[in-house]
Amino acid sequence: MAAKSSLDLETDPRSIIGMREFDAPRELVFAAWTDPKHLAQWWGPNGFTTTTSSFDFRPGGVWRFVMHGPDGRDYQNRVTFEDIVPPERIVYRHGGSGEDLEPVQFQQTVIFEDIGGRTRLTWRGVFSSGPERDRLIKDYGAAKGLMETMARLAEFVAAQA
Amino acid sequence: MNLDATFAALADPTRRAILARLARGETSVTDLAKPFAMSMPAVSKHLKVLEGAGLITRSREAQWRPCRIEPRALKEVDDWLEHYRRFFEESLDRLDAYLKELQAGEASSKRKKQDGKHGRKKQPRS
Repeated sequence: MAAKSSLDLETDPRSIIGMREFDAPRELVFAAWTDPKHLAQWWGPNGFTTTTSSFDFRPGGVWRFVMHGPDGRDYQNRVTFEDIVPPERIVYRHGGSGEDLEPVQFQQTVIFEDIGGRTRLTWRGVFSSGPERDRLIKDYGAAKGLMETMARLAEFVAAQA
Repeated sequence: MNLDATFAALADPTRRAILARLARGETSVTDLAKPFAMSMPAVSKHLKVLEGAGLITRSREAQWRPCRIEPRALKEVDDWLEHYRRFFEESLDRLDAYLKELQAGEASSKRKKQDGKHGRKKQPRS
């Protein structure tokens, strides 16, 4: 597959930054985010399907949907659009009640860049939960340290075996 | 187990350092306190938070009550990050495939138009 992708946890400890390039014009990539008919075709991990109950694509508008997992479980989701600049940028908050999906709220920024007829998409997630935001950002910084701890733990377990 | 409590417990650098030390093997509270310029009650307080989050357990068998790391809670946080990565990676894989499909549909509908047939456009509206 020609698509390039990366997930960056290091640049900014408060956020998770993902990047991917598509062999498609920016307008088309952006459009795939603007209609539940299109989102249903690709949103979510493999094996998931999405049923939208309401979709209001404007700043302050809400997208309510259920993600159906391959194990038969349903995950209620709510996306609130905060900023929309076609075809460059979408900012939204994503919070879900599915315990496995989004235990905390995220603010997500999706940037669409034209790179000579192709498109680079950058998907940046920052913890965001109203008054809890700062605490969560701090906690997420801890997750980075945690990964280091995990690496040490793995070494430890390996040494015991 | 509560992921919020786990993240909150991990937010403190001293507690992360304690975990890192425990990842090397079970340790007494006295030995844990040594590298930190900290009173025993202060260390005990951190241990209580870690224990409450399920990140460590303290043995009641031995007199010196060794602390040991509890990998399950760490695994839960790791699972969450893995969940996030999967969502990102696989959604964008699917988006890539869908965009190809849309472009193929668009190309064939253009061809049909040139042939004088009525092709259905698959291009999305924005």
